[in-house]
Amino acid sequence: MLKYVLRRFVYMLITLWVIITATFFLMKLLPGNPFGEVAAKLPPENLKILREQYGLDKPEWQQYLKYIGHVAQGDLGVSYQFPTRSVVDVIKQSFPASLELGIESLIFAVIVGLLLGIFAALKHNKAGDYSAMFIALIGISVPSFVVAPLLSYLLGNKWHILPAGLWQGPEHRILPALALSFGTIAILARMMRASMLEVSSLDYIKTAKSKGLTTWKIVTSHMLRNAILPVITILGPIAVNVITGTLVVESVFSVPGLGYQFVTSITTLDYTMITGLTIFYAAILIIVMFLTDIAYGFVDPRIRMSGRR
Amino acid sequence: MSKPILEVNNLRVSFKMYAGEVQAVRGVSFTLNKGEVLAIVGESGCGKSVTAQTIMRLIPTPPSYIKPGSSILFDGKHEITKLTESQMEHVRGEEMGMIFQDPMTSLNPTMTVGAQISEGIRKHQKVTKAEAMQRAADLLTLVGMSNAQERTRQYPHELSGGMRQRVMIALSLACNPKLLIADEPTTALDVTIQAQIIDLLREIQKKTDTSIILITHDLGVVAEMAHRVIVMYAGKVVERGTLNDIFYNPKHPYTWGLLRSVPRLDSDRNNDLESIPGTPPDLFAPPVGCAFAARCPYAMKICKEVDPEHFDVSAEHSSACWLMHPEAPKVEMPVQAGRGSHG
Amino acid sequence: MEIISKDKFQPAEKTTNAESIVRPSLNYWQDAWRRLRSNKLAMVGLVVLILLTLLAIVAPFVSKFDYETQYLKDIDLKPSMTHFFGTDDFGRDLWTRVWWGTRISLFIGLVAASIDLVVGVLYGGISAYFGGRVDNVMQRIIEVIYSIPLLLLAIILIVFLGPGIKSIIIAYALTGWVGMARLVRGQVLLVKEQEFVLAARTLGAKPARIILQHLIPNVIGLIIVQITFIVPTAIFFEAFLSFIGVGIKPPMASLGNLINDGAHYMRYQPHRLIFPTIVFSLILLSFNVLGDGLRDALDPKMRK
Repeated sequence: MLKYVLRRFVYMLITLWVIITATFFLMKLLPGNPFGEVAAKLPPENLKILREQYGLDKPEWQQYLKYIGHVAQGDLGVSYQFPTRSVVDVIKQSFPASLELGIESLIFAVIVGLLLGIFAALKHNKAGDYSAMFIALIGISVPSFVVAPLLSYLLGNKWHILPAGLWQGPEHRILPALALSFGTIAILARMMRASMLEVSSLDYIKTAKSKGLTTWKIVTSHMLRNAILPVITILGPIAVNVITGTLVVESVFSVPGLGYQFVTSITTLDYTMITGLTIFYAAILIIVMFLTDIAYGFVDPRIRMSGRR
Repeated sequence: MSKPILEVNNLRVSFKMYAGEVQAVRGVSFTLNKGEVLAIVGESGCGKSVTAQTIMRLIPTPPSYIKPGSSILFDGKHEITKLTESQMEHVRGEEMGMIFQDPMTSLNPTMTVGAQISEGIRKHQKVTKAEAMQRAADLLTLVGMSNAQERTRQYPHELSGGMRQRVMIALSLACNPKLLIADEPTTALDVTIQAQIIDLLREIQKKTDTSIILITHDLGVVAEMAHRVIVMYAGKVVERGTLNDIFYNPKHPYTWGLLRSVPRLDSDRNNDLESIPGTPPDLFAPPVGCAFAARCPYAMKICKEVDPEHFDVSAEHSSACWLMHPEAPKVEMPVQAGRGSHG
Repeated sequence: MEIISKDKFQPAEKTTNAESIVRPSLNYWQDAWRRLRSNKLAMVGLVVLILLTLLAIVAPFVSKFDYETQYLKDIDLKPSMTHFFGTDDFGRDLWTRVWWGTRISLFIGLVAASIDLVVGVLYGGISAYFGGRVDNVMQRIIEVIYSIPLLLLAIILIVFLGPGIKSIIIAYALTGWVGMARLVRGQVLLVKEQEFVLAARTLGAKPARIILQHLIPNVIGLIIVQITFIVPTAIFFEAFLSFIGVGIKPPMASLGNLINDGAHYMRYQPHRLIFPTIVFSLILLSFNVLGDGLRDALDPKMRK
């Protein structure tokens, strides 16, 4: 098990390094002036000072090493647009809202998605199955950037059931979390259904049935655990889904989160902010995938013992 | 030995599929007495496993359907074909146990062996978790596993194939069932392990006086254990009799073929092992007349037109073959058959 | 027992072949097609896709308007007989823009799928076919690329390359092929170990022949299924990027930026959101049901 964890950990570091390097060199390849339109009007002396200030006068490999060093220490640089704001400050300020939104929607999605999938599998090829899977199909086909405005418009503006935006009381959390969980519910439901059906055809389910166990008992103590195993492997992609979803949902519902900052930095072409936030997002996703792998190892005794897949 | 524990009458089971209906079991009847071992033999696909699993109603509906007119009377009181699913739950595990073919896949990989055995006990008997675990350990000892207490905490993947099959047997015995169905219990095992498992089954049968239905295509296993034998072909019983009847006085050409295809130590080395040419018919469209006629070297005109009824040889022994008809030419079983050391 | 005439007990002549097969025999593709046809949802998906594709090709040509000309006296019109889907705030005809956008979306989806197909199949095939150290190194590379979040990489790439169809396709192509490569590798490894390939190899068949005759037919079903999932992913990808403002920029129409526009105006002109959304969702829905149907149809394990 330890070997397995270590191996995953090394992969995690390599991937992070690749991303940091890629973003650094992309930044270097960038045509034009890194300080944007405003800076182009500055006299050359001032520009030179500015370049020295950001370390842009040194050879590229030195800049690269320095950059890696900074990132390793948790320093993602300072915004080119607003030199008084560091990327880390922005993260500290706006990440909590995103995290809260993400976790709330994930909990909701896991509960609803798994239940829907289990329900569909138990009603396999019956009306219940078809309707559950139709809901899931719509969830996959109608993306968050359609669901979010629709929810905001219908429930928020038209029927005035829930607040359509802002981030204040708990009632402000419901719509964004709902919009964000839509796709995840669908993915989880489909995966869980397929997995349940796969497990239900296995021999040991017949063994369990031959013991005289009730369907309920067979489902809860034999099928669920084995069926959830493969579902855990897609938690990584699901995290990606939720995080990219926050980019849209936060903009639509005016949530002061990191996704909103990210989209803003993209539209204003704030390069350090973009790269800094990309690295931060990538780190989160990679850590989530790493944890997923470890979790998978823990729930499956075959991996827990032998230490490999 | 006399009271029947299981009476199967005209059992017909079909699977509904895209192209129509596959008639897997086409009118099977037999009786199993208390304390008796009945072997059901035949090639793969002859319907023996479907028969066995239908007795415990383990095959899901759809796609399988028990056809009207079928009857499975268990212990003189339960009409299996008419029980509800929740009534069946009390029959399964408590009154009937099942041993499956492949111990590698028949145990839940994410549950300890002890938990898998004890959950059946806890379903049917009012015992605490600890008592059930203790009983599981006792059962493992019964099936010849040492360090039973430790074994209960192991996962299936930590055990060898033979060990897992022992666990499977312990599991099927958990509530002292009156009937044990062993569906090819040795097929997936190494030859040396096969002998151990058969010895174990025989020993347990003597100790507990359980009735056993043994499904197999291995006549060696039959000779070791069975009291009576039924031979199935294409979803029907073609011959039934005691062990001696089937091995020493077989009447059906298919039984002859089966017996002749068993390798024997005492046979002449120059004799080739014989096989039955051809393959069983597709039960998607069973042939008119005797299903075996197409492969039978003695086939007559009538065989291809009318399906034969059972002709009695003795009270216990009968064969569904037109050769038994008084008008038919007398044909003897070819030499080099199952005569000799078996029995 | 009734009396049976004696001659019935004469030996029968061998008429029927003992091994005759009564079940209708279908080859792999016929059987797959039969299964697909019997899946009504998948067939509806297929028909809808064909219709949408035809509309995307034909509608912009036949329309009286083009996608970019602004008619400032016709702004913000509701759907009517002249403007089936209404007009936007620049007086552009939405019917034309929606189908133009569909065309762009489908184009991006198809190009992305082709790139994935070529790169993924080559990479996965080579990796699995040669095995050993080659496979090992190629797999390590894949593992790293696989864990890089596609969307983030794409966003920075597009920020630096500048928005546009080309950037979107390049960004997608850089990382999208990994899934296909993994799939192909897994399947090829599986097939490679099967007896008939070993047999062919023992008989001295050349690698090219083995790949063409044995590997490809066995992998192709899986690839087709994968493609029906790649196309909607790429379409989604474009729409997502356009929605957050780094995709295709107006006046060029794409389903993504039409939906984005529509979302801003939905309170007063709901039609601007509704029509592109319906078309977009129909495309994704159809691809998904068709993909599901194909997967069920082409999975030999399911064959009965």
